[in-house]
Amino acid sequence: MSAAAQRMSAVVELQRQLQDAGYIAERPLAAALLLMLDLRRPLLLEGEAGVGKTEVAKALATARGARLIRLQCYEGLDVHAAMYEWNYQRQLLAIKLLEHDERPIAQKEQDIFSERYLLKRPLLEAISCADPPVLLIDEIDRADEAFEAYLLELLSDFQMSIPELGTVRAVSRPLVVITSNGTRELSDALRRRCLYQYIDYPTLEKELAIVEIRTPEATGKLARQLVEFVQSVRRMDLKKKPGIAETLDWAAALLRLGIAALDEGGAERIVETLAALIKTRDDRAGFTREVVARIAAAC
Amino acid sequence: MLTLASSAAPAAALHARLAGFAGFLRANGFGVGADDSAGVVETAAGIGVFDGDILRWSLKALLCARGDEWRRFDALFDAYFLPPNRSAFVRHRDAGPGASHGAGSPEDAALELHVASAAEHAGAEDDGPGERHGASLEESLASTDFRDLHRSEELRRIEALTRRFARRMKHLRLRREARFHRGRRMDLQGTIRRSVASGGTPFRVAWKDRRRVRPRLVLLLDASRSMSPYSFFYLRLARALCLELADIHCFIFHTRLTAIDEALRDADPFRSQERLHLLASGWGGGTRIGECLQAFNRRHAPRLVHSRTAIIVVSDGYDTGEPAALGAALGELERRARRIVWLNPLLGRPDFTPESRGMQAALPHLDLFAPGADLASVERVLPSLIEALR
Repeated sequence: MSAAAQRMSAVVELQRQLQDAGYIAERPLAAALLLMLDLRRPLLLEGEAGVGKTEVAKALATARGARLIRLQCYEGLDVHAAMYEWNYQRQLLAIKLLEHDERPIAQKEQDIFSERYLLKRPLLEAISCADPPVLLIDEIDRADEAFEAYLLELLSDFQMSIPELGTVRAVSRPLVVITSNGTRELSDALRRRCLYQYIDYPTLEKELAIVEIRTPEATGKLARQLVEFVQSVRRMDLKKKPGIAETLDWAAALLRLGIAALDEGGAERIVETLAALIKTRDDRAGFTREVVARIAAAC
Repeated sequence: MLTLASSAAPAAALHARLAGFAGFLRANGFGVGADDSAGVVETAAGIGVFDGDILRWSLKALLCARGDEWRRFDALFDAYFLPPNRSAFVRHRDAGPGASHGAGSPEDAALELHVASAAEHAGAEDDGPGERHGASLEESLASTDFRDLHRSEELRRIEALTRRFARRMKHLRLRREARFHRGRRMDLQGTIRRSVASGGTPFRVAWKDRRRVRPRLVLLLDASRSMSPYSFFYLRLARALCLELADIHCFIFHTRLTAIDEALRDADPFRSQERLHLLASGWGGGTRIGECLQAFNRRHAPRLVHSRTAIIVVSDGYDTGEPAALGAALGELERRARRIVWLNPLLGRPDFTPESRGMQAALPHLDLFAPGADLASVERVLPSLIEALR
């Protein structure tokens, strides 16, 4: 078997594993994930909200049987929340208990600043795992630039210095998946260090496969119709286009109301379920009964 | 796909071909670096694949860094690795990267010529029909417009305003708290942390206070002929701001974009004026706002514009370039910047509506579109700007 064929079968194998974990990945994404495993570089995922960026990390963790460690970024995220913090209260307690201890002070100090009193936050946790975990750094665009720079340092050396304890080196290199919604432009340095994958809204076939795998109760006809409906909704000029999560929510809502097929006559009942699909007031105003009936008729 | 992949072809040629791909992408505007060429070869060798979709997918993940590159990659990959396409494509691109390293591409030369002719005409046309047309329109508003601001009293008013503004900018704080040497509230956790050194007795109290932010201002001044009655006022304002605030960056544009920070920051006002004069030696030509903003996006925005940046564009919106380019450039800026303010000196006039095509393309991307014909209208914009940067 040639190298190319071998590689391709590895890609297909990973694709199958991801599917078993409940995630439908296209081959390019599977190839990028494979490359990420080879090069041990972080993977930066960009795309609209709700296209399943976070799911990639979860599925990858499941497929590889690795632990998933998640760091949700937010504005003002700092070192203490992301890396480590000392458990001061316990340290103080220990000092009081050690007061009548005869051991030399240096040793007591070493005891107090040992790992027992260290609270591990996600990043430290990730580099001190024995088996390489999947580290998901979610929505990095929400964190400040300062944190991005800090992260960059960690991702290049995979070590962290804690002044009282010394340098902590990674026991194993975590698989890093970074997601961004593009609310802020990321630094070029970070982009350069990462592999990149842009995730678009799914095609009809892919979305259908996702609905089938996640909502097996939906009949083939309903699944096809509702995916077609969502696809045409996405083509409309909306403020917030529905993501895959919305599609799945909506499918659940339709099933719950016992709607077996989308048709013109049932437009009234479809409108009732649209709260699961359309999430802003302006967009909602555009979906009158007539509009819904017209889209449903086309499905 | 890759003809060189046959066993007869030497490995060196194959490597050279692969290594050239990064350069090809760079020539097409990708942000790939010098070490990426080696990365391509390594990756291909690492995965043991030199052709086909696997190589495409792998290189796509490796070499792309943002959405627009992602969408263009496949076409460029085909163009480079599929022989017939490639020759067509390279011929098309030939004038671009290669030539611009030399004496200047035809495009540059044309620009130079344009600017030179504009400069020549500037002296002769001072009292010419073009100038008179502008002047007669502005006559009625002369008492409030900036053209009278040469007087030192007005200059003092500008300086007083910028000082007030700068003071408020420096004291911007967030609601979120951080540790400080001296602050408003005691930081209990920090105090306990410090008391560890003294065996649990809190001798030294830690404090916290609302976190300071360092907002950044980027000023883009239209210096075209139609803006000339206002240019000097805004340059004064920019100079006053530059002397008060550390994190402000100023550019002027007409047919080209020029950074004027250093000239403005010159402590000697006469030398500053001289340097500005040299920089602005092409003033009075047409305006290509869209192209200038695109140039700003390409060369300066990644470095300058972050999530606490406010961009102030001062222009009358009369654009001789493509309105679509202006819209696209502003759209890109909109994603990077916290706020985009457009001050249009003409907007304050009773009979003016922003109907120029350039302005129409720009409007959807602006956070604030305000008149900017006098100091009072500039002052009205500033509070909302400060609020937005918080």
